[in-house]
Amino acid sequence: MAVSYGWAGKILRVNLSNGRITTEDTNKYKDYIGGMGIGYKVLFDEVPVGTHPHDANNKIVFGTGPLTGSGAPCSSRTNVTSLFPTNPKHMVADSHMGGNFAASMKYAGYDAIIVEGKARGPVWLRIEDDKVSIEDASKMWGQGIYNTTALVASEMGKEASIAAIGQAGENLVNLSVIMNGYSHSAGGHGSILGAKKLKAIGIIGTGSLKIAGKAKDLLDTNSYMLKELIGANNNHVVPSTPQPWAEFDSKGSRWTAQKGLYWGAAEPPVETGEIPPGDITTVGLRTQKGVKDLGPVAEKYTKRMGGCQSCPIRCFSQLEIPQLEKFGVSRFVSNTCMGYSAPNGVMIKGTVDQFEKDDGTFISKTLGSQLADDYGVWCNYGMLGREFKYIYESGKLKEVLSEEEYNSIPFELLEAGDPAFLKDFYRRITFKEGEFSHLGDGTYWIAQRWDLGDDFWHGKAQKIWSPLGYPVHHSNESGAQVGALISCMFNRDSQSHTHQNLIQSGLPADILREVSAEIWGSEEAFDFPAKYTPMNEYKAKFAKWSIIRNVLHDSLTVCNWMWPMMVSPVKARNYRGDTALESKYMSLVTGENYTEESLDLAAERVFTLHRALTVKQMGTLDMRNEHDVIMDWVYDMDPEMEPFTEGTVKMEREDMQTALTMFYEEMGWDKKTGAPTKDTLNRLGLDFAARELESMNLLP
Amino acid sequence: MEEKSKKKFLERETTRREFLKLTGKGFGGAVISMSILSMLGCESQQTVAYALPSGLLLADASRCTGCQRCEISCTSIHDEKIQPFISRIKVSENYNFGNEGPRLDYYRQNGQFGNLSMSPETCKQCREPYCGRACPAGAIFADPKQGNARVVDTSKCVGCGACEEACPWHLPTIDPETKKSTKCEACGFCAENCPTGALRMIPWEDVKKAMRRNGYRFS
Repeated sequence: MAVSYGWAGKILRVNLSNGRITTEDTNKYKDYIGGMGIGYKVLFDEVPVGTHPHDANNKIVFGTGPLTGSGAPCSSRTNVTSLFPTNPKHMVADSHMGGNFAASMKYAGYDAIIVEGKARGPVWLRIEDDKVSIEDASKMWGQGIYNTTALVASEMGKEASIAAIGQAGENLVNLSVIMNGYSHSAGGHGSILGAKKLKAIGIIGTGSLKIAGKAKDLLDTNSYMLKELIGANNNHVVPSTPQPWAEFDSKGSRWTAQKGLYWGAAEPPVETGEIPPGDITTVGLRTQKGVKDLGPVAEKYTKRMGGCQSCPIRCFSQLEIPQLEKFGVSRFVSNTCMGYSAPNGVMIKGTVDQFEKDDGTFISKTLGSQLADDYGVWCNYGMLGREFKYIYESGKLKEVLSEEEYNSIPFELLEAGDPAFLKDFYRRITFKEGEFSHLGDGTYWIAQRWDLGDDFWHGKAQKIWSPLGYPVHHSNESGAQVGALISCMFNRDSQSHTHQNLIQSGLPADILREVSAEIWGSEEAFDFPAKYTPMNEYKAKFAKWSIIRNVLHDSLTVCNWMWPMMVSPVKARNYRGDTALESKYMSLVTGENYTEESLDLAAERVFTLHRALTVKQMGTLDMRNEHDVIMDWVYDMDPEMEPFTEGTVKMEREDMQTALTMFYEEMGWDKKTGAPTKDTLNRLGLDFAARELESMNLLP
Repeated sequence: MEEKSKKKFLERETTRREFLKLTGKGFGGAVISMSILSMLGCESQQTVAYALPSGLLLADASRCTGCQRCEISCTSIHDEKIQPFISRIKVSENYNFGNEGPRLDYYRQNGQFGNLSMSPETCKQCREPYCGRACPAGAIFADPKQGNARVVDTSKCVGCGACEEACPWHLPTIDPETKKSTKCEACGFCAENCPTGALRMIPWEDVKKAMRRNGYRFS
């Protein structure tokens, strides 16, 4: 067999209905790069319209790409593609997880794992290089993710990378995750594995990722990125406090390292310190995420930072909190961002101090993180808490629950700000106890079930973005129409961080506007924060580029929470990044000549295939009115203020329609409907999609 | 392969336990004891067949965040490919459950699923290297070009795995693709590329002094 560079060269296909395990050549997916691209192609080709996510006919694709496991910084992301249970029409969506799993897939020899069919009883999938078997999981069924992982490791060996579902996934809770490495979770697809009766996948990979170029050049590129380009988490490139080496600082920056700030529970404590860029051996100290996510009280409990294979930016805080054992969970906690804040959102009356001053939310966040992660419950990017708040405070809950069930819920704990409430909350959802547990169905489904009306859908407090039942995720508050457009384009909350990284990088807006002009042709692409201007074509280019790079990263796979390198912490570079870095890595690793343009084109192909698949699954051309729709609160917030006046992030209805038109034009989609045209599909080599959509009368 | 790897695993565990029994010490993430160092020949001044090495790679477990960039750097520079399995420093194999593997009380033991402590394992460049003594081909030698680090001569290596079995930490690894042993040459490249400064090359003579410094462990 010819040597494959970058790509492992094989895709593993496992049919759980008949036990067939086969491999196929990755080559046929190369135009789609990998990861997300492979996922969409498989779903487009192989999963019939109208399939329920939990049917045997649905497939789930664990995808990696040519850069996964290559040692390029931040390159161990698993892209998971399947039908999405929370989506009203069960359209395709992705979930993602970091950790070690993706890199292990590559070293075992696989670019993707396609799981199809449905096992008769609980199974787990054992992968040791080219030896693959379906194993009995009856002992694991019913266990949480932590025990399941330990059980698989005890069978395979300590070195196995293991992805598993918890009881929530088993019980077909829509809001459930697939997780590896204790806290790296792909949200929203756990129940797909549950329906397939696939409890876990364990991988040991002893093989190599081969690079076409010289290792020396790859190492030089790593060094260039780490010394000159990379910042802190989200590629924030200035520190959060004034420091002698830094020209700028920004309070919100995730570059929280500073004099006197420690990993306080390390032995001995490790000082993060004032650390100028240029030194590889301090990059991992820049982000003290414990205090960022959990407040100052977290410092003394922070053992270290953590994160994914190959990533020098450690964005997961790892804490030892002995007090947590009083709630019956482990004292050791690992998580980041929403993994902490979502459970705190459930504590809608706040949390009172538990063991020391100002530790209330700290305990709720860390306790909730433990509970949700072991059960494998997802939060729909924070919706779960906001929905609970709505039904509780509006009285809806009392209406839809029997008196007996309502009285069985310990609301007195909630009212008293006692985080023990979380134990009851997550248990009910995980085990589908009673009517209450339908909170785990997701936004759209509870609105249907409980007849929630306009004030639920359109109320600002719920932060629902779309009638498809997903929330704001760096939307209008992040770059005005840019974030708003991005949030309209997927079938779940947008996972694109490109625009957010730039906007929050910490550099002064003037510099960011210069950078914007260099990338998108005019500084008008970039609005000053909360000083928005009406739509213009450069914002459409900014939005398109952000999505295209996000899609590219999920196909390569590298982390869009860090990439692309638009800016740099280095003053001597005038803070300029290098947006061609993905293509430099790709050329070196694969030996094929990639340019920024050729990769962007490939990603445009992948994203347009997603759009074509969305049209196919919705059975309508009218994306503008059926899909790319925003809830009223986005237009009606701050009633006393006009859109485009300083201090408000509200959008304007007609302007947003203009924004959609401009975006469709940038994409080569039909201006009226927002559906991809035949010409565009053919231009991108998606002729097969054009033919299929034509046969369904779904071409504009 | 399944049976073979299982057997390998059992043997590994046995070797490690035997070794620890001799010293009368448990391992459990504690700083390595002076008696173990003596066993390695670090204390002895007797004449030996191997010239003294000049350098040693040390891992500070308290600063290790498990990113595995050391393994990536190691196999890139030495093997022209990325292959953590043969890395001469071991982090990923201990990532989830420490170097002892999953136990009933895994949630308290080393590892990401336990007490969150990583267990980076580095070559001790023993005065009298077990790996070198066990090698039937005489392929492991003190290389003056590498400061007398104990290095595999791949032209002599027959890939039998005796070095891996003999090493108390099982650090040499046979590359399944080349069938040659890989072991640490104390080049220090991983340390230059550790993003949290958890790895350090120190003069071999200073090993005991370094061990006494808080937080420095041989895991």
